Amino acid sequence: MASREVIQYETPLSRAFRWFSAVFLAFYVVWTVLPLFIMFMSSFKDLLEAFKLPAVGDWAGVTVFFEFTPTTKHYYELFARLGFTTYLFNSLVAAGGSAVVSVILGSMCAYSLSRIDFKGKGDLFFWIISTRMAPVVAVMVPLYWIFRQLDLVGTLPGLILAYTTFNLPFAIWILKGFFDNVPYAIEEAQMIDGATRFQALRAILPLVAPGIGAFVVLCILFAWNDYLFAAIIGSGGAKTLPAATRELVQPQNIQWGQIMAAGVVTTLPMMFLGLVIRKYLVTGLTMGAVKE
Amino acid sequence: MAKVSFRNVWKKYGDMPAVKDLNIECPDGSFLSVLGPSGCGKSSTMRMVAGLEHITSGQILFDERPINGLAPKDRDVAMVFENYALYPHKSVYENMANPLKLRGQDASVIKERVTAAAKLLEINHLLERRPQELSGGQKQRVAIGRAIVREPNLFLFDEPIAHLDAKLRAHMRGEIKHLQRTLGTTMIYVTHDQLEAMSMADTIAVMHDGELQQLGTPREVYNHPVNAWVAGFVGEPAMNFVDVGVEDRAGRAHFIHQNFAVPVTEEQQRRLSDGSRGSALRMGVRPDALSISMTKPSDSCITGKIFVTELLGGDMIVDVDLDDCRIRVKTSTEFSGEEGQTCYMTVNTNKWHAFSKENGKAFF
Repeated sequence: MASREVIQYETPLSRAFRWFSAVFLAFYVVWTVLPLFIMFMSSFKDLLEAFKLPAVGDWAGVTVFFEFTPTTKHYYELFARLGFTTYLFNSLVAAGGSAVVSVILGSMCAYSLSRIDFKGKGDLFFWIISTRMAPVVAVMVPLYWIFRQLDLVGTLPGLILAYTTFNLPFAIWILKGFFDNVPYAIEEAQMIDGATRFQALRAILPLVAPGIGAFVVLCILFAWNDYLFAAIIGSGGAKTLPAATRELVQPQNIQWGQIMAAGVVTTLPMMFLGLVIRKYLVTGLTMGAVKE
Repeated sequence: MAKVSFRNVWKKYGDMPAVKDLNIECPDGSFLSVLGPSGCGKSSTMRMVAGLEHITSGQILFDERPINGLAPKDRDVAMVFENYALYPHKSVYENMANPLKLRGQDASVIKERVTAAAKLLEINHLLERRPQELSGGQKQRVAIGRAIVREPNLFLFDEPIAHLDAKLRAHMRGEIKHLQRTLGTTMIYVTHDQLEAMSMADTIAVMHDGELQQLGTPREVYNHPVNAWVAGFVGEPAMNFVDVGVEDRAGRAHFIHQNFAVPVTEEQQRRLSDGSRGSALRMGVRPDALSISMTKPSDSCITGKIFVTELLGGDMIVDVDLDDCRIRVKTSTEFSGEEGQTCYMTVNTNKWHAFSKENGKAFF
C-alpha cells in the first residue's frame, strides 16, 4: 500500500499560519472551557461567594475567584428536596429508551433499504429523510394534539416515542450507509455455510457496529439535551433534567447555585459517555469503516 | 456427493434472458468447468445451483431430486466466492469453523476437521490471524478451507483464482485439481480463463450469450469445436480465421484465397458436400497447426510477409500479414525470419477447421 503521509514544506506563510492557529486555539479553549469551569466552581459556592468579582483591571484580584468554602448544599437541595433523582432517572430512560428503540427499528429498516430492491425505493428513502427537514417547532403543535388524544402527554413512553420519531429517520440514514459498505457476498457465504436469512443478517451486525455505536451516542445526545419536547410532551409526569433546571428560574428568585449544580449533573454523564465511546464515534462517523 | 442435472433451465432478469434453455448432466464426482466471457450467464448458472438466485423455469436436480425450492442451507453445497467473502471480523479458524458451527457440530469435531483442512491447505500456522492480515493466496486458501471442512454434495467455485498473480494461479490450478481428485466431490468451476478450464476439468461447458455452445472433454472442445465462436475462445494464442472460397480442382475441393489454394482431405470433402459447395467459408487454423519456413516448400503453401516476431522463451510466435488479414504462427526459436521478409507456411490439413460464414457452424 502506498504511504499516506501528507507532506508539507515550511514557508513564511505556513509559519505565520501556525502561529496564528496556536493563538486562535488558545482563545478557543478558553472560550469553551471557561464557562464549564465557572459552572463547576460555582456549584460548590455559596451565593455570595459566587458573585464575588475583582474590580476591572485588577488582575491580581483573580484569586478571589478561588477563595471560598466548598459546600455541597446545592447538590443536597437538588436531590433531597427538589426530586432531581426522578428527573435524572427520567432523562436516562427517555434517552436510553429512544436510542434502543431507534437502533432496533432503524437497523432493520436500513438493512431492507440497503439490500432489497423494490419499486419506489428512492422516493421512500427521500421521504424518510424529508421528515427531518421540518424544524421541530413546526410540528410541535400537531404532535402535541396527537399525543394528547393518545394520553401520552406527560408520560415516559410518550417522550420515548417523541424522540424516536425524530431519531428514526436519522438512524435509517446513517445505518443504510454502513450496510451498503458490507459486501452482500458475506451474507451469501453465510447462507451457503448453512445460515438462514435472519442469521446471515445477525452475522454482519458486528461489521456495522461502529455505525450503531456512533448512532446510539448521537441519539442519546439529542434526547438528553432536548428541552422543547421535554417541556411540552414530557411536562408534568416525565420531567427531564433540562426541563427541571429551567424551573429553577423563578420570577422572584433565580436559584443560581442550584442551576449550576443541575448543569453539572446534566453535563457529567455525557462527558463520561463521550470519553468512553470516543474511539467508536470517530471511526463511526468516518463511514466506510468496513473494507473489503 | 451428487450428480447434478440441468433440465431446460432458464434465468431471466426482467425480460432479459441470462441463461437460455440449459441442459447439462454432471456425473457424480466429476469436475465440470463452466467457461465463457463475462456476461455469458455462467455466474447466474452457478448462483442458481447455490440457491442465491431463483430459477426462472426448468429444473436443477441433485441425484434426480429437484432443488428449485430449497434454501441455500438445505442444498448442502459449499461455495468459494470470487472475492473470497471471508468474515473480516473473525479469525481464520472461526471462518473455517463457521459452516460446522451453523450445523451444530460438537466443538471437538469442529476442531478436528478445521485442523485437518488447514493442514491439507498448508495454512495451519495462520489459524489465529484475521483475513486482512493475509495475502491474496492465503485468503483464497482459507475460502477453500471453509468449503472443504464439511462433506458437501457439491463444490461451487466461482472464479476462485482470478485475482491471484500469474505464478500463484498456475500453482493453484494444480492444487485445486488434486484436491478435487482426492476428495472425490462433484465440482462446478466457473471461469472465464480457458486455460483453467482446459487444464483442470473433466468436462467443459462453453457458454456464450446465455447459451450452451458446447459440452465436452477439454480434448473435444479444443480439437473439435462445434462452431467458430468456441474455436476462437478456446486456445492461446487464439485460432486464426481466414475467409476462403471453395473450388473443385481435379476432383478435389480446394480452399481458395489470394495467397493460397490448399486441397482438403477426402474425409473433409465428404463433410463439405452437405450443401456448402461454392459458398464462402471461414477457415480456422490454430497457430501450432501451421509450419513456417523462408523457402517455398510446395505449391500448396500460404505466402505472406512477416509483420513481427515474438520470442516466448521456448517458443516463438510469428505474426504474418496476408493480403487481407493477419495470422499468427507458433514455431521454434530457431526460426530466423525477419520483419518485412516473405515467408511460406504449410497447413497441417488434419488439424484445420472450416466454419459456415452465415451461422458459424463447423463442417470439420
